[in-house]
Amino acid sequence: MELLAPGGSIEMVKAVFEAGADSVYVGVLGWSRRSKKYEMNDQELREAVKIAHDFGGKLRAAINAVPKSIEVDMFKERLDFLSSIEVDALIMNDIGLMKLAKEWGFDVVASVGCNILNWKEAELYKNAGASMIVADCKLTPEEIKEIIDKVGVRVEVLVHANTDFTYLGKCWMSSYMSLKYEKIGEKSYYVGSPNRGGVCFRPCLRKWSLVGEETYTEGFNLPNSMFLLLEEIPELMRVGVDCYKIQGREYSVGLIAEIVRFYREFLDSCTRGDYKMDEWKRRLVEISKRRDAERFRRTLELMKIAKATI
Amino acid sequence: MELVTTIPTKYDVDGYEAYDAVYLGMPYCWEYDGNLISDLKVLKEVAESIDKKVYVTTFAAPRNKDLERVYKLVDFASDFADAIEVTNLGIAKYISEEYDIRIHVGGLANVYTRATAEFLKSIGIKRIMPAYELPIEDIEDIKRSGVEVEVVVHGKIPLGIGHECFIRKFSDIVGVDCPDICKKDLYFKSDDLILIPLGQATYSGKDVCMYEHIEKLGFIDAARIEVMIDGSEYRRKVGEIYRRRISSGFIEEDFEELKRLSRFGLCNGFFFNKPGQVYVPR
Repeated sequence: MELLAPGGSIEMVKAVFEAGADSVYVGVLGWSRRSKKYEMNDQELREAVKIAHDFGGKLRAAINAVPKSIEVDMFKERLDFLSSIEVDALIMNDIGLMKLAKEWGFDVVASVGCNILNWKEAELYKNAGASMIVADCKLTPEEIKEIIDKVGVRVEVLVHANTDFTYLGKCWMSSYMSLKYEKIGEKSYYVGSPNRGGVCFRPCLRKWSLVGEETYTEGFNLPNSMFLLLEEIPELMRVGVDCYKIQGREYSVGLIAEIVRFYREFLDSCTRGDYKMDEWKRRLVEISKRRDAERFRRTLELMKIAKATI
Repeated sequence: MELVTTIPTKYDVDGYEAYDAVYLGMPYCWEYDGNLISDLKVLKEVAESIDKKVYVTTFAAPRNKDLERVYKLVDFASDFADAIEVTNLGIAKYISEEYDIRIHVGGLANVYTRATAEFLKSIGIKRIMPAYELPIEDIEDIKRSGVEVEVVVHGKIPLGIGHECFIRKFSDIVGVDCPDICKKDLYFKSDDLILIPLGQATYSGKDVCMYEHIEKLGFIDAARIEVMIDGSEYRRKVGEIYRRRISSGFIEEDFEELKRLSRFGLCNGFFFNKPGQVYVPR
């Protein structure tokens, strides 16, 4: 069982291992599903791998923004580089490119953005080279168990789960609203498109009205909230989930370290079978408050950028 | 270039004369009233009544529990359909293993690269609708994989799909429940941004329109007029306009008519590396 933590900066990479993570994931500059502010250039990637390995941990490189179709040669260059610095696994979104990464010998994780919804789809991703898939947050433990039993693929869940309006990876509302086409060197970068590497401007969190023959109601958000799993985890462990991922490259180092420490202790307690859920729930309430405050600040920042981008 | 359209329900089987082929069924909700893929007997009757190529769509977001129902649909439709459209790649894999029938992969399947198109071609996929979010140059590169390429040249496009029907949560406020709430003319509005709910999916308020720019898409194999929401008169008029566009070139009055038909305005989707809701004039 693996506790996977975010590495939005070198400082965060160190902090999560000190807090008890087994592995860390970092974004490759211009190639991951987050703002470039939280991705790493080549020198930082090299340093992050060294830190992970010095701790006896592993590093996964998120290369899960879908590139432009004509950027495959650039993608191969990235594979060469990531192989040379001994990255342990890749997190990917594009099933065609997964096949390519497998040829380089990488362990491949099919990102949550693949939106794998059933065991037959999981089987296809396994055939294409994925040794682990990330379960969509809406899948139940029974569904995950069926995938594991029928396909024999390893499964990761997001501890930092969401209740989004759409499935992750299946939403273009942000880029429909605002989109800016930029380049990082020769690499294209679509600010406003989560699938294509830029941020999501969170249109869900605008104030919406329901309109028809009349305005039925107004001032509501489309569902977009995040919550930290807790009570579900013992059941997920029982059905055979291998990896528990804490997202949040964009959060503060202190908060992420605290979340990692919390889940390290909780997972160990679950393994021993001596956890008292009420105590853990109380502790999580405090952590969640801090997380919500940071997320709210980030949302306001993104909405401001979106307005300036249209 | 094949001109194709969509007919979601049994109440809407009309206005397809100008087209070469039709997609039958609404892929975002099994309970949608009149959904052709939810009533196999009616699906077959409709398919046999249409003197065009008939493609049958499938549920777009199948979980484990939905697989058997989708398989049953595929098994049934494989006897009379000219192709099956899938947006879930697990279903694509199943059909390619079990049937000798054309498979079209829909726009929600997230085909962004030629590498993925080549992979899908290797498992027997004949036609792909690239991800809606792609600009022309990326679609053109996908075409180089050797698969047929289809794009929406006109109509509202899906902007997302989720795990549940969100509009149903407003049943009390609107005063009607499923399936009747879907028959109401409802949309979400935030300033000038309009989204239209449709089952588990959400559609753009604006109509994608490539009427002025159709030559830039000269390499595509099929041009789709998406009519999940607007009804048969829209299907008929827009189909006739694009048929004339393909055979006779740009006609100013036709373009003006497209503007009149679009309730919330026109846009170009993502063809030009711009936000999807923006319209770029010729």
